[in-house]
Amino acid sequence: MTTQVAARPAVNLKGLSQYGVYLAILLLVLYNIFFTPYFLTWSNLRIQLIQVAPIVIVALGMALVIGTEGIDLSVGSVMALAAALIPLYLGYGVVAAIIASVLAGVAVGFINGVLVARVGLQPIVATLALFVGGRGLAVVITHGQLKDVRNPDLIYLGSGDLLGIPVLVWVAAALVLVVAFLVRRTVFGRRLLAIGGNRPATELAGLPVKRVLITVYIVCAVLASIAGLLSVARIQSSDASAVGLLIELSAITAVVVGGTPLTGGRVRVLGTVAGALLMQLVIATMIKHNLQPSTTEMVQAVIILIAVYVARERKTR
Amino acid sequence: MSLLRPTAVTLSAALLILGAGACAKSEDDGSKTGSAAPASAGAQVAASASAGAATCTIDQFGGTKLDLKTAKVGFSQSEKEANPFRIAETQSIKDEAAKLGITNLTTTNANSQFNKQISDVEQMIDSGVQLLVIAPLNSDGWDSVFAKASAKKVPIITIDRKINATPCKDYLTFIGSDFAEQGKRAADEMAKAMGNKGKVAILLGAPGNNVTTLRTSGFKDEIAKVAPEIKIVFEQTGNFAREDGQKVTEQLLQSNPDINGIYGENDEMALGAITALKGAGKKAGDVKVVSIDGTKGAVQAIVDGWASAVVESNPRFGPLSFATAQSFFGGEPVGEDIIIQDRQYGTDNAKADLASAY
Repeated sequence: MTTQVAARPAVNLKGLSQYGVYLAILLLVLYNIFFTPYFLTWSNLRIQLIQVAPIVIVALGMALVIGTEGIDLSVGSVMALAAALIPLYLGYGVVAAIIASVLAGVAVGFINGVLVARVGLQPIVATLALFVGGRGLAVVITHGQLKDVRNPDLIYLGSGDLLGIPVLVWVAAALVLVVAFLVRRTVFGRRLLAIGGNRPATELAGLPVKRVLITVYIVCAVLASIAGLLSVARIQSSDASAVGLLIELSAITAVVVGGTPLTGGRVRVLGTVAGALLMQLVIATMIKHNLQPSTTEMVQAVIILIAVYVARERKTR
Repeated sequence: MSLLRPTAVTLSAALLILGAGACAKSEDDGSKTGSAAPASAGAQVAASASAGAATCTIDQFGGTKLDLKTAKVGFSQSEKEANPFRIAETQSIKDEAAKLGITNLTTTNANSQFNKQISDVEQMIDSGVQLLVIAPLNSDGWDSVFAKASAKKVPIITIDRKINATPCKDYLTFIGSDFAEQGKRAADEMAKAMGNKGKVAILLGAPGNNVTTLRTSGFKDEIAKVAPEIKIVFEQTGNFAREDGQKVTEQLLQSNPDINGIYGENDEMALGAITALKGAGKKAGDVKVVSIDGTKGAVQAIVDGWASAVVESNPRFGPLSFATAQSFFGGEPVGEDIIIQDRQYGTDNAKADLASAY
């Protein structure tokens, strides 16, 4: 009797934690089809995909870091740094601006990686340093002022179309494929998951743990800098004090809701994308029905709680 | 070696970021027209005070007469200077002090942290300032500052936001705009632009802020009065930020394609809304946009045909603050509530007045 009661929810919960996010999206879409005007339109899908793209890109990097049992709080600050550098180098053309902002990502990721892998700081503390300092530096670089961006090439990245689909969405989709390939098909991906699963064992096995960890933090920060770049291109202005504000929370939420355990050793790339989409759909539904933003936040909190609850059985893995 | 290498790379990476200014080359600034508007342009004017309004003199307040030129003056800014309003506000205080020959001016910025603002102000009182100009972040929580200031009889002028306390006792006077009146004027302009009928969406400011509350109630009350055929169908917060304004407008345009007016409670959100309108394939003027603040970007949007009107919220507090302080220290009575006149930009004057927008 007792075993039966204990066993059945465990099976259900396992399924829920893996596929619950897709089920939630399905339910929300069904609700919207019936109760939201103009929901089943191409223009709606387009807006949701454009708005979710930067969060997806940041969440991909976050998923990798969480896969190593780490966390990266500095992603929003990296976006701000990237945003701050763009107007400075846009005079040389859009390529120079992209290189400058991506290099900023490499620099921040490298510092994070060294602090975690070599100095041995807790990831939450190590990345907290640049979470605070990165945005501060970005505000100093821009003198705290918002800068308008008019470069047509950059604006094309943010609001242009390629084959009828926004460039922003193409970029995000390409990065999803790259990260999925990294995790599933490369040695690097295997090592990353091994570190998250059992770091001492991985070290004993002679794998280059420090190098892999540093690379993971660099990849995460570079993805964040790309998201910062695309945000600037979309808003057509660079505001270091606002770009990427609180995005680390959205990214962690997307990863967790998507079924990636915070304890490391597993990365669910498609789940992460779905997690970001679910949160975007929640926000869109609330806005379209003209509900208070505080309601949206409460609904998001409930979703996170459910996601963490159904993932709970992982502890006894 | 293994230690040296990461250090070297980190250092060079840090150099890249820190040296960003060295070889940077930014885009040409497309709007070079009169960017250095004379400091006097668009100076504030106090609305004529109604007869019998409460005033305050130096005898009532306590303290001694002094010459402002040699006085030690402190200015405490509340928010980071990330938006044009704060930049113009601080600049106006500094410019006017320089103009009057006040050499002993200390300015601080609390970067939106209330505790920092309190300690900023307390430190200035300890260092012996004789006049304080404060742009308060919050309206409450100033008791410790007032206790300190009144012990030393330091007069405090609060600008742009009011503090919940007793004028002429805790602080000297408040100088600022009438936010409800701004909302009301925006409603008048909206009604005019829309021909008194249609559907309007409101982009609200940050929640829990008296600026948001008053700009909303002023707008709604006036719309109900002058144009009952205009329906307010949508209210969502854009947190006074451009990106949020854009995101919310994209969503609302998609689910309410028949919206024909957008009221932005500040210019930044309205500019985000205009980017969203462009993205949704609308033409300039399809949807009427009215906002409050009077920044250069928004006035330029009127010139370009995307916005219909902008009600100014004048940030140039320098001249009026110091004039008030001068008459106070000279023994004359000053008003306890000085409401300033805000200008307005429309299709008729936007081009001519663009240079004096901030």
